[in-house]
Order: sequence, then C-alpha cells, then structure tokens
Amino acid sequence: MRWFFLILAIASITVALALGPRGEKFSSPPFMLFPDMDNQYKVKAQKPSQFFENGQGARKPVEGTIPFGHDLPGENLVGSRLDYSRGSDYYNTGLFGDYYGKGFPEELQWDEAFLARGKERYRITCTPCHGESGNGAGIVSKYWAIPPTANLLDPRVKDLPEGQLFWTITHGKGLMGPYNGILSVNDRWAVVAYLRGLQAASGN
Amino acid sequence: MGNIFPRWTNLLAIKILVCLGALGTCAVALAWYSWTPKYTRVGYMPQQPIPFDHSLHAGRLGMDCRYCHTHVENSPHSNIPAAQVCWNCHGPGKVDSDAVALEPLRQAMDENYENYTGKPIEWVQLHKVPDYAHFSHQAHVNRGVSCVECHGRVDEMPVVYHAKPLSMSWCLDCHRSPEKVLRPLDQITNLDWKAEDLDSDAFYAYVAGKTQASAEDLKKADEGKAWNRELIGAHLRQAWGVQPPQDCAACHH
Repeated sequence: MRWFFLILAIASITVALALGPRGEKFSSPPFMLFPDMDNQYKVKAQKPSQFFENGQGARKPVEGTIPFGHDLPGENLVGSRLDYSRGSDYYNTGLFGDYYGKGFPEELQWDEAFLARGKERYRITCTPCHGESGNGAGIVSKYWAIPPTANLLDPRVKDLPEGQLFWTITHGKGLMGPYNGILSVNDRWAVVAYLRGLQAASGN
Repeated sequence: MGNIFPRWTNLLAIKILVCLGALGTCAVALAWYSWTPKYTRVGYMPQQPIPFDHSLHAGRLGMDCRYCHTHVENSPHSNIPAAQVCWNCHGPGKVDSDAVALEPLRQAMDENYENYTGKPIEWVQLHKVPDYAHFSHQAHVNRGVSCVECHGRVDEMPVVYHAKPLSMSWCLDCHRSPEKVLRPLDQITNLDWKAEDLDSDAFYAYVAGKTQASAEDLKKADEGKAWNRELIGAHLRQAWGVQPPQDCAACHH
C-alpha cells in the first residue's frame, strides 16, 4: 500500500511535469483524443485537396461558364458586396471605350450608407500608404523609404476623372498593386466618392 | 481448526478499493485537466512558411484586420489573403522586398525570380472547429462580436497562437449571455477597445434610434449602474434583437 502510493505519487508528478500547464506554446498539431469526424474528406474554403492535380481544393470555373450568382454579361450585381465583376461597361471598368470616364456611373445608390462604406473601406485599404487625410503620408512612409505615395489631395489628382481613379484602384499604378480582389466594384466607387469628399474638404 | 487465510487478508479488499479509487481519481484529474481544448489547443503556435508578424502589421502599423482578411464580413470563412495582398507592399522595390523571410512570397509571385513556382503559400491553419460544426464569421462580426473574442490580442502576437479554447462549452458561454461580448459595429476590428472609449451620449442616441425608448429614459434607467461592457452589450442586444441560437442544429447542421 505504501509502495503503491509512493509509485502513484511519482508517476503523477512525472506526468504532470511532462504535460505542463495549460496554455503553454507548442508547434506540433494539437492532440485529439477522438478525432472521429473532425477532419472529413470534404473540401473547405482555401483548403488543399490531393484529388486535383495542382493540389488546390478551389476550382476555377470551367471555361466558357459562369458560376451561379456571378454576373452575367451585361448584368451587374450593383451594390452587392460580392461584386468583383468582369463586365465591360463604365460601372465595371471606369472606361468609355478607350477613354477614362468623367463622373460617377448612374448605377450607384447615393445614400449615407454608401458614403459611410467608402470612408470605412478607405480607412482599411488606403490609409496605410496614402494616409487618413489622403496626403500621401501614411504610416508606411514613416518607417520605410520607398518612393513617395501619391498625395491624393494634390490638384493633379483632383483633376483626374473619376473613371481614372476607379481604374487605378482596380489595376494599380506604378508601385501600387491592383485592389480589384480586395475591393468590390461598388466599394471602389464608394472609395472614389469618399476621396472626392476628402479633396473637397482639403480646399486645395 | 486453523485460519485458512492469514490475518493481513482481512483488510485486503478495502486496500484494493482504496488503491483503485486513488488511481481512478488521478485518471479523472488528468483527463479533466489535459484532455480538453483548454489544454490541447490553447497555445498552439505552428511555424508558418513566412514568419508573418501580426504585432507589427496590426499592432504597430495599425492596419485594419480587414486589409488582409477581406471577406470576413461577407463569408462564413475568414480568408487568408492571397499572395497578391502581401505583394501590394512587399513587391519589387517596395518594403523589405529582398528579405530572406519573404522567399516563399517571391516563389509565389515574382515571375522573374529564378525559383518562381506560382504556387500559393501554404499557411498553417491554427483555429479550426471540427468539420461537423459550422461557424460563420459573417454572422458574428456583423452582429457586434469582435475578432478579439475568439482570437485574442492578435495585434500583440509576434507569432500567432491559439488563445481561446474554441470548445463547445466555450461557444455556449457566449451564446447564453452575448451581452458580455457585444460591441458597436465600427469597433469590431479594434482589438484594444474598452467600454470607456465609447461616447455615452452618442451611444444612447443610437440605441434610442433602434428601440422605441428615448435616449433620456435609457440614460435615467442606467443611473448608478457601472459603465462597462455588460451594460453596453445589454443595450446592443436589445437594440439589435440578438438571440444567439442554442439548439444543436444551429451549428451542427
């Protein structure tokens, strides 16, 4: 009996020391006691799949087809947050033929929510480089000596047509990358609208 | 007639029971402490292909979570950004573009790079609910539940680790009393938000606009109450009509 409790005590302490307290950092995949159906053979978002040759679970649409819920040619999901359209009209490209268009497309819904959305998206997406006020002195310029970002309050930018601003957000310019995968079409127009507000407020 | 069993056997049965009891207690204690997600998942800190520093990007630079996790508001799945998003700032001629640590990024993105593969960066997922539980980011962040409630202070983590257990009972804690975690919608990605940061007049006006009550009445009713997360959350819960489901099919469908 005495021996039993001695061995039990030693074993308990050994196990406790080996396991350590809760919340300790470790890098191996978490231990699972009953992994029954925790990891099912199904493709989830952004997961790999050995089934396909390139190892990616996500598939591109079959060529010549359009996934359900996406835009048909000539039909816009105006205002939708899932609108990353590939249409060819002014709303989707900022272009009339080969020229940048002036003014905002008529598809836009002008209300408070639209402008608030533009402000929010501008702060999330544009502020790191262009700064909260648009003067090009974002946080990035304080730490890194990369070529200066555009001062959006400059009269030069102020004179650019809306279509060109939209096109620049969509495709990038110079060192700026394209933002068409981050901002939906409607959000890009909302950002342009907010930017016009910033420019008007700056008084340049 | 002599005794068949010696004297020490009198207590043998009790001794065996006591030993088994002690052994069982230890086993239960072990399972209670270390076979729950509080032990098995919290602290999981896998090595990522690129040692991305959240404390730098989301902390010091003050970037919004949604700069990279763009679809968190529109999708059940909060996306890991495509390499293109990293490339926006770390492309050629930009921030630290020659860093050794960014090798996998160049492999994925730089077509002029000798080791270019064009394959996506294989980030390691740390937060995962079982495949039979359906969690929607969209439903939570659009109803006032901040990132920080489930992911901890990511803006202070040089290497991201699993901060909360994500166990079922932990989910239910909030589903039973959501007022503890609700906050105004514009503060969702502000991981450092506190109740004191909120302008009470604007807040009462907002709540009054959502409910039938007037701002003055709400204020009067709250007199003497401590201005804290729970009070704010209770108002928001009422204003938005938040009723988190507690039935099985809410998540296991």
